[in-house]
Amino acid sequence: MGRISRRSFIERTGALAAATTLPTLKMRGAGQPVGDQPADPAPRTRISLRVNGETHALEVEDRWTLAEVLRDHLGLTGTKVGCDRGECGACTVRLDGTTVYACSQLAVWADGREVSTVEGLADGDRLNPLQQRFVEHDGPQCGFCTAGQLMSASALLDDTANPTRDQVREGLVGNICRCSNYNRYVEAVLDGASPDAASARALTTVGVLTPRIDAPERVTGRARYTGDVRLPGMLYARVLRSPHPHARVRRVDTRPAERLPGVRAVISRNTCDVVWTSGDSRNDRFLFNDPVRFVGDPVAAVAAVDRHTAEEALKAIVVDYEPLDFVLDPEEALRPGAVEIQPGGNLATRGRGVREPEVYERGELDAGFAASDVVLEDAFTSKHINNAQLEPRVSVARWDGDRLTVWTPTQGVSNCQRDLARDLDLPPADVRVVCEYMGGGFGNKNQCQDSDLIAAVLARETGNAVKLEYTRKEDFLGVHGRWPTRQYYRVGATRDGTLKAIELRGYSGLGPHRKSSGGIAGIELFRCPNVRRVVHPTYTNMTVSANFRGPAYPQGVWGIESMMDQMAHELEIDPVAFHLKNVSRAYMDETPYTSWALRECIERGAEVFGWASRWRRAGAGEPAVRRGVGMATGAFSARTGRSSAVLRLDGDGHLWVHVGVTDIGTAAKTTMALLAAEAMEMRLDDVRVVWGDTDRCPYSVGESGSRTTVQTGDAVLAAAADLTQQLSAQGPPRGDAVLVAEATTNPRIDGMARYASAAHFVELAVDMPVGHVRVVRYVAVHESGRILNPLTAASQVKGGVTIGIGMALHEELLYDRATGIPVNPGYYGARVMTHLDTPEIEVHFVEPEDAYGPYGAKAIGEPPIIPVVAAIGNAIFNATGRRLNELPFSRDRILETLA
Amino acid sequence: MKRFAHMSPDSLAAATAALRDTGAAPVGGGSDLLGMIKDDLAAPDRLVRLTQLSGLDTIAPRPGGGVQVGGMITLSALSRHPVIRDRYAVLAEAAGSVGTPQIRNAGTLAGNLTQRPWCWYFRQGFPCYKHGGTRCFSRTGENQFNAILGGGPSFIVHPSDTAPALVALDAQIHIVGDAGDRWLPIREFFVLPSEDVSRENVLRPGEIVTELALPPRPGARSVYTKVRDREAWTHAVVSTAVVLTLDDDGDDPGVCRRAAIALGGVAPIPWRVAAVERLLVGKRLTPELAAAAGAAAVEGARALARNRYKISLVSETLRRSLLSLT
Repeated sequence: MGRISRRSFIERTGALAAATTLPTLKMRGAGQPVGDQPADPAPRTRISLRVNGETHALEVEDRWTLAEVLRDHLGLTGTKVGCDRGECGACTVRLDGTTVYACSQLAVWADGREVSTVEGLADGDRLNPLQQRFVEHDGPQCGFCTAGQLMSASALLDDTANPTRDQVREGLVGNICRCSNYNRYVEAVLDGASPDAASARALTTVGVLTPRIDAPERVTGRARYTGDVRLPGMLYARVLRSPHPHARVRRVDTRPAERLPGVRAVISRNTCDVVWTSGDSRNDRFLFNDPVRFVGDPVAAVAAVDRHTAEEALKAIVVDYEPLDFVLDPEEALRPGAVEIQPGGNLATRGRGVREPEVYERGELDAGFAASDVVLEDAFTSKHINNAQLEPRVSVARWDGDRLTVWTPTQGVSNCQRDLARDLDLPPADVRVVCEYMGGGFGNKNQCQDSDLIAAVLARETGNAVKLEYTRKEDFLGVHGRWPTRQYYRVGATRDGTLKAIELRGYSGLGPHRKSSGGIAGIELFRCPNVRRVVHPTYTNMTVSANFRGPAYPQGVWGIESMMDQMAHELEIDPVAFHLKNVSRAYMDETPYTSWALRECIERGAEVFGWASRWRRAGAGEPAVRRGVGMATGAFSARTGRSSAVLRLDGDGHLWVHVGVTDIGTAAKTTMALLAAEAMEMRLDDVRVVWGDTDRCPYSVGESGSRTTVQTGDAVLAAAADLTQQLSAQGPPRGDAVLVAEATTNPRIDGMARYASAAHFVELAVDMPVGHVRVVRYVAVHESGRILNPLTAASQVKGGVTIGIGMALHEELLYDRATGIPVNPGYYGARVMTHLDTPEIEVHFVEPEDAYGPYGAKAIGEPPIIPVVAAIGNAIFNATGRRLNELPFSRDRILETLA
Repeated sequence: MKRFAHMSPDSLAAATAALRDTGAAPVGGGSDLLGMIKDDLAAPDRLVRLTQLSGLDTIAPRPGGGVQVGGMITLSALSRHPVIRDRYAVLAEAAGSVGTPQIRNAGTLAGNLTQRPWCWYFRQGFPCYKHGGTRCFSRTGENQFNAILGGGPSFIVHPSDTAPALVALDAQIHIVGDAGDRWLPIREFFVLPSEDVSRENVLRPGEIVTELALPPRPGARSVYTKVRDREAWTHAVVSTAVVLTLDDDGDDPGVCRRAAIALGGVAPIPWRVAAVERLLVGKRLTPELAAAAGAAAVEGARALARNRYKISLVSETLRRSLLSLT
């Protein structure tokens, strides 16, 4: 096999193009038809399955799971596979009425039995009452867990006609929702509480509680996710990964794997040096690297006729590693003598060739501390945790001549297309990216993934379509999570509670690649004349860290808000009063905000929560179970920026809204439809959104940075304004005529900052002798400008808060320090929040006027997770008088620290 | 997943005969075994299914008192059974605390007793004692959840919830193999790593657990308390199974006549605390006595670097469990 680089890739592309006209030029495996069986078949059994009332006679391999047979062989893809280990619940089906994990049942065990799946719930197009309630209560966010939640809820209701709230939570506890829309699912099953009421508004569509427009697809199993895509002749691919945290790859022998029946291609560094540009902004990150720099770094990839054959082939690949020293802790990585992970040292550069930490300064720090009556110092350690979205990474690639189509769960079809074209040296027009539905991402499905590129290379090598699937463990190790930090603070204030100085020296562990900033954010929440922040984004041999909801904030806000809480305590000032005195009034004390209502959020939250009567100074009382309250704030950019939209009004009175969104669970599609309906004064039912396909949609900013509502929303409104003008000039289109308006907007806001903000209040009970924390009450007040859809916006808040509670109390990717190997990847190991861990979360909105964004809307996706860890940490301090300086606040840490 | 053949024998004899083959493995609900195979931690060539065998999933009275519980009963059925809930609450609660409804619907009692350890290192395939290696990685590694009692050379904790409940109930366990069958007191079923580090119980290759016999416990009250690090879907950080007979009437109400206590999550086997039982018998169960019992339960406990918290945790959990029965 020749070497595949960007350059030779083009030549290869040419070769294949030639191959279509010159049959004598052979590529190994090119375009061969793919049978169901490899040459050496595994044991098989004939079974009869009754699925949703229909009988299927089929022959299955004994090792096939029920989930596999339902999805791959019967085409019933409504049942999802999130972990394949019985740790997430996405694959829940009913077997003779009782719920089971279809991933943990062999298909042969279902022989002669009755299987019920989500596809059997609706009567044709008519949703059953439970599905209808799931739609109305906004049950599905990304929708990947929804089928499982529905099957568990159906079984529960068959068993218990009028369940209590606790019975619902118990009954559905075997179904993880990483969007963490647990409150909504419970409401839907109970059907008692109605979603949060909206206040009256002048606008007709915007601001009204609106179920998401694609919810029926998501509750019926009709929504097609990337893993559901099956193409004729499609091969299955798997990746071989490094078991070492740092090693030279002396030799990769792929021949034993290539010789196996059913194997169509094996690629490795020997044959492929395609660079994955968006995998590292500072260094060349190849698809297969030498040295490998973390446990899980890809070494080779296989395409075979089925996934089991591909897995068997991985085991046949022989790799000779030379283990190198490794370092996991960012501070240790910067000490002299630490092993060098990237050429030039372990301090990740600000730009190519610059080796300095990130520094921000204002005022005179020393003077600020000199003017302080109280100076506090403390340090905080946060951990790497995985985004853990329910849908694992999967990419499907197909070449049609020189044109590449990639189906992938991406947060941005436009930037994914751009990245693929760049890395494979193709004209962007020759790359099509499709994402119909995707099962969450929270920041780790931005841009193009290495899986997209590997699938594309394997598809080119074999001439067949290729589906590359990552296992859940691979998703935890091979895809990035939140960056861990160590934060050293010094904060000074005068007796009256006026901040005088803030110093932060911080270290963040990026893993071996700089895929995002590694920043530590939060000091911008406070007004202070003298500030110095020095952050060292650092290479380590842990798994890669990059964006996860509110990337730099939850951990940084935990640090600074802990300091502020401690300062208020030392000064004997109520934290709410301390915040009202000290929170930011201009961004970095310099740039005015377009609108800013953080103080109102704090005041409103304190009032709703009853702070004045609940708060008392920390440490009073010695009962075994101690109550405490805490609060913290957050903010996130809601800047304007470039995006595009195309609106088409047809003769039937339908408005087609073409936007490049993929809707990761935020209800972005619904929001775009609402904006178009409002602007065009049309009914929402007459609006059709076209999304998730670079061939059918204009450029869109990726669904990252909470930018879609503002940026793509602005483009939709601009296109609507144009269309309105055309309408008034020409009248409505008749027959086959269509009015078309295109807009690309990039509004500038000169000299002002635009931010969303939030204040959270929590009450919890700490059972001291057993180290247990129970969240008793949680109030989240958010200012995100105008709330376009109070239903889905509140769902965003509930989900973000819940993920934040998990970050505070449970989650950590643990590493064995002697070997550098992570020991608990997966949902079980991460202790991801369940129905029973999730409290009711009260959501309130403060809605100031703002002159920018669609109808004044700001961002709502990322802000909800930002204050959570800090609020919980402060409440634990309030309850116990002790502050925990290392995440998570798990039982062992609580007992060891508070004992 | 590795390839294997599957068979569903129609009799116990056929099942045990099939299990004679090296490479054959018995399977009940499969929750644990399939995951192990997928993770390359187990590599059977043939799965022999047991759940279809008739008579192994029932609960029936025993002549002379007590009940007989089939090894293939699902944890759901066990936890909901009126007789078990009424007379053996500790077992119903233990079975009901396992995993999730889906896991309990598939998982069997025998499978819950014989599941392999959930030590991080074992599950990640480290070459530890349990995988035939020569060291225990948890001893100096991430040992938050490892043993404080009975550990060495391996420091796994026994992962089963039903095991401490059955130990506290003095159950008998029926083991059947191709060469014959035997009944054992459940305490003799479990094996410490110091006795044989490669296994957690006495089952020889090809042997299976077919049923459990629970002795009569008239007037006993019992409770299973499971401490978890999320509210569901984890193994016990620590747990306590307590079966007490207290005088209800007469001159000494509240005096403990009989006590059986086993701890979970602290040792490589369910950890019976006979000294605590002796401490309780003949005395009124006061808050002071419960606290003393809690303290006595962890005598001899030795913490690893990261699990010291378990000592006070299990002590306090036992204290609370005892008081919940008064």
